[in-house]
Amino acid sequence: MELEGGKINNLQLTFLIIGFTFGSSVIISPGKGAGQDTWLAILAGLAEGLIFAWIFFTLAAKFPRKNIIQINEAIFGSFVGKVISLLYLWYFLHLGSLVLRNFGDFFTGAIYFQTPLIVIIGLTALLAASAVRNGIEVIARCSLLLVPITMFAFIFDTVFLLPQIEITKLLPILELPLKDFLKSSHSAATFPFGETVAFLMITSSLNKNSISSMKRFALAGIIIAASFFVMAAIRNLAVLGGTAKISLYPSYVAIQLIEVADIISRLEVAVSFAIFIMGFLKISVLYYGAVLGTAQILGLRSYLPLVLPIGTIMVVLSIIQFTSAVENITWATEIYPFYSLPFQLVFPLVALILAIIKQNKAGTKKAGEAQ
Amino acid sequence: MNIFFLLAIFSGIVIFEVPGLIYRKYWKELIVFFLFLGFAFTISLLAVLGVPLPSPAKGIETVVNFIIKLITGK
Repeated sequence: MELEGGKINNLQLTFLIIGFTFGSSVIISPGKGAGQDTWLAILAGLAEGLIFAWIFFTLAAKFPRKNIIQINEAIFGSFVGKVISLLYLWYFLHLGSLVLRNFGDFFTGAIYFQTPLIVIIGLTALLAASAVRNGIEVIARCSLLLVPITMFAFIFDTVFLLPQIEITKLLPILELPLKDFLKSSHSAATFPFGETVAFLMITSSLNKNSISSMKRFALAGIIIAASFFVMAAIRNLAVLGGTAKISLYPSYVAIQLIEVADIISRLEVAVSFAIFIMGFLKISVLYYGAVLGTAQILGLRSYLPLVLPIGTIMVVLSIIQFTSAVENITWATEIYPFYSLPFQLVFPLVALILAIIKQNKAGTKKAGEAQ
Repeated sequence: MNIFFLLAIFSGIVIFEVPGLIYRKYWKELIVFFLFLGFAFTISLLAVLGVPLPSPAKGIETVVNFIIKLITGK
């Protein structure tokens, strides 16, 4: 029996990827640490991230109708495949808890000063749980509606900020030592572009007509999201100048500065809505991946009973693992780029190489039989 | 007080999920549900009681630093 009967199409995949990539990157700018060159680091990170994405979406295209759990089992065999799948499930769960924590920290630190962290995290998780219970089709349709809201919010903010932009603040360019630049660009590649590896749980739900063009649509989603990040980074830098790199949430601080004709000001609370819905999409996708994968590994007939228990584990995990927002962000820039590498590059690459070898073997066997 | 809230939340989850599972005779799912929920309850109870739980982020940090050391030899 199939665990997930929902079907999504290409356009929904693109929008979901845009929303997922926006995710927590709308509050924490990717490529942080590059300072003046953040936007260049994002571009370089995009190039690296696209290589990762090309690898795992090629893998997904080779196994249509199979998600990462089934692909691992088909390639690595039953035992090793299960071990790697368990690692992936941990990664999805842990990443979900990190994103939850980012949003909890952001909202308690910037808007709801008196509200306890657990309230924000718990409510967000509850919302995501309801989306996950409804299945991938609902999450994908949400993205069609929610991602344009964020895009419009971004475009409006940028237009309103135009009076405050001083293009000279972008200088000097590339003053950073190459090593630091590569470090930041690699960090941008793993967060958020490489995180789209979570979509290996979702590509199996694509409908028949969408499988052949999946790779194109998925990579397009990443590129569109990246172009928004580059614009946001340039805008923040041109507005905030040197202070962009010391603030935890540069986009939010930049938007606070909007003041047009004394009427349009303090837009940041309106924008935080757009920020929140992107986080909701990202958490839902990761949560869905963790729950569906667990149900699949254990051979359950339905993934619904796992939704709430795994959600609670995710909430507790997100609260106990860091003591402060700064610790969270330091961990995300120092440790995360290396921690995520096996999941985003090593396992998919090995799987792809093995899949190609197996395919060639099967191909020559068939040709031999035909003769 | 916090423990009371915790009990309320977890009994809420049980009341929400269990009747449907029993009705459909999903015994395996029921066992897995209680295993996961039991784990979730244990860690949240410990967290509420103020027992310092090991942070997975710290563990990952140690492993990553160890591997970087192995590779770069520093």
